[in-house]
Amino acid sequence: MTHIQITSLHKTYPNASTPVLKDFSLSINDGEMVALLGPSGTGKSTLLKLIAGIEQPDSGDIYFDGESILQTEPNKRGAVLMFQKSYLFPFLNVEENIGFGLKMQGVAPSVIQGEVKRMLNLIGLPGIEKRKVGQLSGGEGQRVALARALVSQPKLLMLDEPLSSLDTSVRMNLQAAIREIQRELGITTIFVTHDLSEAMAMSDHMAILLDGQVTAYDKPETLFHRPPCVRSAKFVGVDLFLEGEAGGGWLEAAEVGRVKLKDEPKVGRSVFAIRPEHIRIQKEATKNSLKGVVQSCLFRGEALEVQVRLGAVTTRARLPMPAPMFTHGERIFVQLPAEHLFEVAR
Amino acid sequence: MKPFITTSLRLLLYLILIAPLLLFIAYGFSTRWFFPAPFPAEWTTSTFDRALNDSRTLTGLRDGLTIAVIVSVLSLLLAFPAARVMGLRQFKGQQLAWLLLFLPTVVPPLAIGMGLNILFLQLGLAGTIFGVVLAHLIPTLPYTIFTLSSAFARYDENFEHQALALGASPLQIFVNVTLRMMTPSLVVARLFAFLISWSQYLLTLLIGGGKIITLPILLFAAASGGNPSTIGIKSLLFVLPPVLVIAFTARELTRHGEDIREQY
Repeated sequence: MTHIQITSLHKTYPNASTPVLKDFSLSINDGEMVALLGPSGTGKSTLLKLIAGIEQPDSGDIYFDGESILQTEPNKRGAVLMFQKSYLFPFLNVEENIGFGLKMQGVAPSVIQGEVKRMLNLIGLPGIEKRKVGQLSGGEGQRVALARALVSQPKLLMLDEPLSSLDTSVRMNLQAAIREIQRELGITTIFVTHDLSEAMAMSDHMAILLDGQVTAYDKPETLFHRPPCVRSAKFVGVDLFLEGEAGGGWLEAAEVGRVKLKDEPKVGRSVFAIRPEHIRIQKEATKNSLKGVVQSCLFRGEALEVQVRLGAVTTRARLPMPAPMFTHGERIFVQLPAEHLFEVAR
Repeated sequence: MKPFITTSLRLLLYLILIAPLLLFIAYGFSTRWFFPAPFPAEWTTSTFDRALNDSRTLTGLRDGLTIAVIVSVLSLLLAFPAARVMGLRQFKGQQLAWLLLFLPTVVPPLAIGMGLNILFLQLGLAGTIFGVVLAHLIPTLPYTIFTLSSAFARYDENFEHQALALGASPLQIFVNVTLRMMTPSLVVARLFAFLISWSQYLLTLLIGGGKIITLPILLFAAASGGNPSTIGIKSLLFVLPPVLVIAFTARELTRHGEDIREQY
């Protein structure tokens, strides 16, 4: 159980014009799993490499339980990193792979053998000690890599998109397995992903990382329903942003017209947003509804995704099934329920 | 019919490969084999026995092997860091560096040998095993560097990062990960270095200055002498170490075959 504190981390790679991490700060509580969510190239993997000691930061510091680790040799930091690819050593069998870290630390072979057995039971693959890594499936490989990362009881476990190369069903199983094992062992964990649903399913807290900075950090449900700023909101799937003058419980949005707010005392220029699931589409006009035109209508299984032209903007609505199909060019009415509109910073 | 043709072609190929060796054996272990007799009239081991008791031949064999083994080891030691940088990194002037590394393979060995001879005479290295070893490194290094750098170009450093993140020290990573991952390429590079050094004639002659005698020098002298039996035996002695090293290399490569498939 380790408390992690990262303060004002800067990193620019040689020959790069822009920093990959700028003023990055984050605090992770003991035994928590934090998901780092962001598109490719925003510095997620770099952060993990800085913590692991593979790369050095230009400035800033990283603390484990209040002690800076930057001067500690990488192999003595107790921060174990697991990559997207399992990176199981091809010249070692499963047992030797899992026991690699312990062997390097000089642990007795009999102890290693016992620990490997315990780990294989934990990841649900008992009895495969002598199997060659080339004979493992993708999912099994990642499980073994997880066992190898966990066997030395690290202070911090870092998972760099470990499931992104796996099939959906294997991936879902492993998400649950990793979460369960992490909770059972209580290891502080950073989980990097660009998949929103995976981040939400796996984490206690979620940080959205855009252009080398944390733009939002909160519990998954809070970030999903009330992202603090436009950029974070876009990343969690919000599509409709209305900017205008608020006052008297109404928003005068330039693009779509007057929108009713929920008892908002807000006055002045502001931006409001709404999640696509909360936008309602109907064939008949009702009170405070806005006129719109259907651009496209896609069946997504659990929902119907309707692209709608609303004044000067185009947005997406996700209607729960069963829902009536709409045709291209159909004139409809859009309801933006006041209770689901929330303010975001620009 | 098809298996018959395949087998015949395979046997023909083996024959083409083995024929020179058979000829060496026939010449080396016979006397009085004159045209148009299809086979030697008399078989004997006297030339072979004489060669085994000849101190010059044995010294040539010993020195040649010593030099080739030292050159193989030094080539790998020197080529490894250079190949790693050339294969894994990109830097300004990299093409010039490649050109410089490639240069010894296009410059005539005579030019290199003459120049080195003067330098090594001044340094007192001419006529020493160490001097010959240094001279042999010139033609071996380009091949070892190219072999290893092409392997490094496909090498994934994250295996090392993974080991680091699992608590291994830099030395442990080098021994337990880097060398293990690179074993197949190291084995091939070592083979090249050994073969090139073992068969060096001109550089050994120029730098060795007659004091360092290796088997190619004796073989060349024997070939000028025109005794087919001596040529046959010395050729067999010359071919034996490379054949053994190739066989050993092939065995190692087969053993690491699975690793190679995993890695690439």
